[in-house]
Order: sequence, then C-alpha cells, then structure tokens
Amino acid sequence: MSRGTRTPWWAPYLFIAPFAVAFCVFTAYPLFESIVMAFLQTSGPKRSEYVGLSNFSWMWEDPDFHKAVRNTVIFACGSIFIQLPCSLGLALLLNRPDIKGRAFWRMIFFAPSLVGLAFVAILAGLVFEKNTGLLNVALHQVIWFDPEFPWLQEYVMPALIISAFWMYVGFNMVYFLAALQNVNTDLLEAAQVDGAGPLHRFRHVTIPAIRPVATFVILLSLIGSFQLFELPYLLLNNSGGPDNQGLTIVMYLYQKGFDWGDLGYASAVGWVLALLLSVFAIIQRILSKTEVA
Amino acid sequence: MAMKRSILGSGYLSPGSAIVMLIAAVSTVVVLVWPIEKRQGLEFWTFSKTHSQMYAEQLKTWNAQADAEGAHPRVNLFVIDMTALVRRTLSSFWADTPVADMIEVEGNTIGRYVAGPLEDVGFVDLTDLLQEEGIYDLVNPPSFSLWTSRGRVFGLPHDVHPVMLCYRADIVEEAGIDVSEIETWDDFARVLAPLIKDLDGDGRPDRYLLNTWYTNTEWIEPLMLQAGGGTFDESGELIVASKANALVISTIIHWCFGEGRIAIDAPEFSPAANHLKIEGRVVASLMPDWLASTWKNDMPQLSGKLKLMPLPAWEPGGRRTSVYGGTMIAIPKSTKNFDEAWAFVKHLYLSEELAEELYRTTNIITPVRRYWDSDYFNEPDPYFQGQAPGAMYIALAPDVPPRTSSPFRPLAMTRIGEAINDLRKYAQANDIYEVDGLMPEALRLLEEAERRVRAEMSRNVFLTEVTP
Repeated sequence: MSRGTRTPWWAPYLFIAPFAVAFCVFTAYPLFESIVMAFLQTSGPKRSEYVGLSNFSWMWEDPDFHKAVRNTVIFACGSIFIQLPCSLGLALLLNRPDIKGRAFWRMIFFAPSLVGLAFVAILAGLVFEKNTGLLNVALHQVIWFDPEFPWLQEYVMPALIISAFWMYVGFNMVYFLAALQNVNTDLLEAAQVDGAGPLHRFRHVTIPAIRPVATFVILLSLIGSFQLFELPYLLLNNSGGPDNQGLTIVMYLYQKGFDWGDLGYASAVGWVLALLLSVFAIIQRILSKTEVA
Repeated sequence: MAMKRSILGSGYLSPGSAIVMLIAAVSTVVVLVWPIEKRQGLEFWTFSKTHSQMYAEQLKTWNAQADAEGAHPRVNLFVIDMTALVRRTLSSFWADTPVADMIEVEGNTIGRYVAGPLEDVGFVDLTDLLQEEGIYDLVNPPSFSLWTSRGRVFGLPHDVHPVMLCYRADIVEEAGIDVSEIETWDDFARVLAPLIKDLDGDGRPDRYLLNTWYTNTEWIEPLMLQAGGGTFDESGELIVASKANALVISTIIHWCFGEGRIAIDAPEFSPAANHLKIEGRVVASLMPDWLASTWKNDMPQLSGKLKLMPLPAWEPGGRRTSVYGGTMIAIPKSTKNFDEAWAFVKHLYLSEELAEELYRTTNIITPVRRYWDSDYFNEPDPYFQGQAPGAMYIALAPDVPPRTSSPFRPLAMTRIGEAINDLRKYAQANDIYEVDGLMPEALRLLEEAERRVRAEMSRNVFLTEVTP
C-alpha cells in the first residue's frame, strides 16, 4: 500500500474530537467544578464563599437531608423487596408454557412502563385523592374502607411505592423473562427426576441461572430509586409534600441548588449520592465475582 | 501513486453519511441566516393569563399612542408559566441571561429573589422613588410589606388580598342559623355545629364546617397571621414559637381530629375537592378576594348559594381578616429602559381603568386607596346572594396583617408544618384533642422548630443581618 492511501495520523483524533470536546465541556469540567463547589456556599453562581467541609458537616445535622435519605431508602426497599419479587413471580408465571395468551399478558403487564412518569404522577393523584379518589371510593364500596384515608397526607411513601410498582413491575418482568430463557431445561428435568419439588428446583436451578441478571436488575432498581425525582415532584405539586414525606435526595438537591441558589450544598449532596451509588455498584461487582468464582 | 481524494465520493464517507452531513450543514446555515423578528419596545412578563387579559385593553391604548405619537416605546406582554418565569428571572440575576424590562412576581416566590445580599437582588430598589413620587401615600400600607426586604421595596403591589369567610348560605339559612352571632372561631364551631351531618348514612359525618386541614400549611399561615403570629415579625424577628402560633396549631388539630372535629380537607384548584363543595359537604372556606372569581369560574353551580362574612376572630374584638396571595411588578436592574418601564408600571398599576378591570374580571381590589369609593365596588353580586364583595373586602383592607419577604419564610413554614404533624401524633397517641391540653406541647414543638430555623439561618454566610 502506498503512503498516499494511508489514513492520516490525525484522522482518529478528528473523529473523536466532537465527543471529546462535548465530554470535556459538559461532563468533565462540570464534574471538576462540582468538586470545587462542594466546598463553597453560593448565592447563585455569581457569589460564593469558601466554607471548607461545612456543607458536608451540615448534612449530618440537616433534618431535611436525613428525611430525604430515609424516604429514598424506604422507596428503594419497596422497589427491591416488593416490586422485584413480584416481577420475578410474574415472569415465572408468564414463562409457563401452559398459560394461554402469554404474549397478550406480557404486553398488558409491560404496557404501564410505556407511559411517562409525568402521566403516572397525574394518574396517581386521581387514584390516591381523599374522599373522591378511585382507590378510597372503590375500597369504601367494597370493604367500607375510610374514604378519608390520607394517602397523600400521611402515607406518601406507600403511595409512591404503589405508583412505581404499577409502572415498573412489568418492565422488570421482561428482564427476568429473558433470564428465564437461559435456564437449562435439562437441569430442571433432571432435578425433577431426582425428586426435587418446585421450590427446590427454583432455589437450586432457576435462581443460580438467573442470578447475574437478577443482580443487574437489583442494581438498576437501586440506582433508579436513588434518582427518584419526577414522580414525587409532580405528584406532590413541586414539593416534598406534607411534612416532606415525599422528599427524595435528588429533589432535595434540586431544591437547594436551583430553587435557592446554594449550588455548593447541592454539589455536596450530589457527591454524597454519587458515593452511595458507587458503594452499591462495588457491592454488585463483588457479588458478581463471587458468583463467577 | 498518491491519490487525491475528496471527502465525498472517495470512500471516506458512505452515501448515507454524506447525505446526513450535507443536511446538517445546510440546516446549520439555514438556522444561522433565518431572520428573527425583533420586537420593538419593552418586554413585560407575567405568570397569569388572567392578568394578561386584564391588561389587554390598556396595552392596546398604550401601544397605539406609542405608534401614533412616539412619546414612549411599545410594550410587549408575554405570559410565561410561573416555574419557567421564576427560573428565567433567577437565571438572569445569577448569570446575566436576557430578561424582560418588567416582571410580575408572585408572593410565594419573592423570597428566592431576595435570598442573597441586598446588592445582589436583581430588581431595582424603588424605595426612594416611591417616597419622592408620593406613591407610598396612594397605596394601602400593608400591601408593601411582602415586597420589602431589609427595609427596601422592590416592587409596586398589585393587590391587597384580604381574606373573608365564604359560607353556604343556603344550608345555614335552611337550618335557621344566624351568622351574626359569630364573632370568634369558638362561636363559629358552636353556632354551626348542628350542620355537621352524615349525608350518606354510613355512620360517618360527610359534611363539616370548615375547609382546612393540618397538612395544608399554605392555608394555615393566614390563620396564624390573623392571630398575630406567623414566621417573622415586622422587625424581622423570628416568631415561630409565639403563643399565637401555638394557639392556631392546637386549634387546627382540635378542628381536624377527635370529638370536636369541624374541618374537612377540600383543597382549592382540585376538581375532586370542588365536587365536595358543590355537594354541600363543606360549609365554609377561607376566601381571599382573588379566590371569589376562581370559584365563580370553577363552580358556577354555587351561584346564589354563598355569602361572605368577615373571618371569625381568635378572641373577642380581634382581627376579622387576614391575607393570602399577592403579586407585584418589578423592574430588573439589567433593563436599559428604566424610565420608560417605570412610566408604564405607574400607568398600568395606578390607573383607575385597571382598578375597575381588576375588580370586574377577578374580584381583586386595588391597593390604590383613592379608588376605593368607586361605585363598582358597591355593585351587588348574584353569586354571593346580592352582597357587594368589593365593599366588604375594602372595609377589611386596612386591617390585613403585614407579611414577610424573608427568604427563610418557606423554611420556617416547613418547620411549622413538621411541628403540626408532630402535634397530631401527640394528640392521637395521648387522646388529647382539646386546645388547652395541646397548647403546652404545641409551644414545645414550635420552640424546637424555631431552634432549627435559627440553626439553618445562622449557616447562611450571605444573610447575617436581620431579614424582614
């Protein structure tokens, strides 16, 4: 090949340049800036004062931050301990060859995840309303339930968990359905021949086979839960709701940074959130390695 | 042999990629050279469509004069969603992005604009101008309080927003009850008690006397202000742990729970809650002047069934009104046309035409006192059984309590909300629902709330001075 036909040395750099520039401007620089900002108190971007570690130390005392963390953890627990087992249960059910209309049912359960979070928030508002909300009215008719049951006043997190459950249970079901395709049927049949019951087969054959996907889904749900924002923000009318019962970490970060201009404290909250998520990711990685071993 | 290759057609790019690049290049050029229509004159932002409709006629005249005589620039009005308006205005203060020459500001958002040092507030300080031009004397004094920060006024008030009590006259009169016996909130609960009813026979009352709830702090604040409490006093002192606030929050819990329950949760702007009001499950609601027109639009079925009366007082001889909501017009410091903008602001907000239009369209009474004798305020309103709401609100206007623009007000209200919630838990745990029994715990919880607010205030390195 002659020299003239060779790709110029600068060609790869030229092609990655658009991404590199965008990455530096919109990701790397803001990331660096947010580290610096976490040690400042700001009144909008124009005015700032160095406050050392005070943003981080205040987080230990800040009742709203504690509430936001507690609410977010409750929501994450709801996602992992209620939503994901139900997704797995649905996947197991709809994976059975003897279920008629499996494709239809899969579509039905998956359909809510096609709806945007904004719509879910609006629907949830109608469902959980006192006196006239669909849930209270229906339960009042059926089991004489208190029509004034205060979902959005005193039971905000359960209402949020139920709303997210409706939206995501089918979505996560699809992951588990895909994982269940990888379960070796020969192993299942062999276990059955050896006298293993359905529970034993599930525990000793199915779970090990779907574990990598399950770990991944758990991590995704955890990260998604810790980034919860739109649902409570819209459902509770741009606020944390009564007594900040629906305040999440990201909502709190948003309020502090963009409503009140304290970008320094918001950055510090953001870094604590990033740290928490990193811990979860590391745990997931360790668990994955353990499985492989 | 060295080969010369062009980018297109040499194999560097596939035909598809070449087309995409070409489209990108052409569209970039089109976007760059596309002519943008530049509006001549001043820009005016409001968050309210109703306001924009009210101003339409005045703007038309103003702009016609501008075109014909050229004495002043045209004004272009834009309605911008509240959240977007606040975000864009704050962006302009923080990052010098373009902003209008005049902006209407809603009461709940003022704290955000004055959250930094005084010199960082992005609106022009109008204090001296208002004094020099005698505008202070024209306007109802309490109307300035919400727009005043650290003694400086940043806008011209649009309204007064006194609060009255709106009640279902049809239900009250059918029961033979005379509301003139009601002077205090205790009278209110006692006199109207026979109206609490189980309407559907399920053994639970469905109709209650007052639309309020312990979680709805937005509507509890006017009650605290009426009682002489609130978040900050006129000198900027934090008064969260005041006896007046303790009385109000204890009473709210008493109203919402236990044997003495009289309250129902039917929030405004909710179709479901409006349904409760139409069904007659809510006997009375707090009603600032602006809410009257909202009810007329949203619940025309209630026409002729309602009446207004002054709020019951917290003690005999006490204040019979409160205040809720508010708007001002402000001029950003970044405007290059301050004199023209100020001339328009005065023309619009101080004009008699607007005062009349304001009342006729929205039931809002003007803060400009010289118009309070106008006939239209005395016109009977069939929605309120022929009462003249304008005159009734005006009678109460001088007595509306002053408010604070402190950026810490929302924080203080959040802490008060937590105290109310804790008081509710205390009441339910100990089965104590009487006001006297709740007062000591209410005071203790409010003291704790105040301590937390102080801790958070002391953390702010930019606002170390008193912030009324």
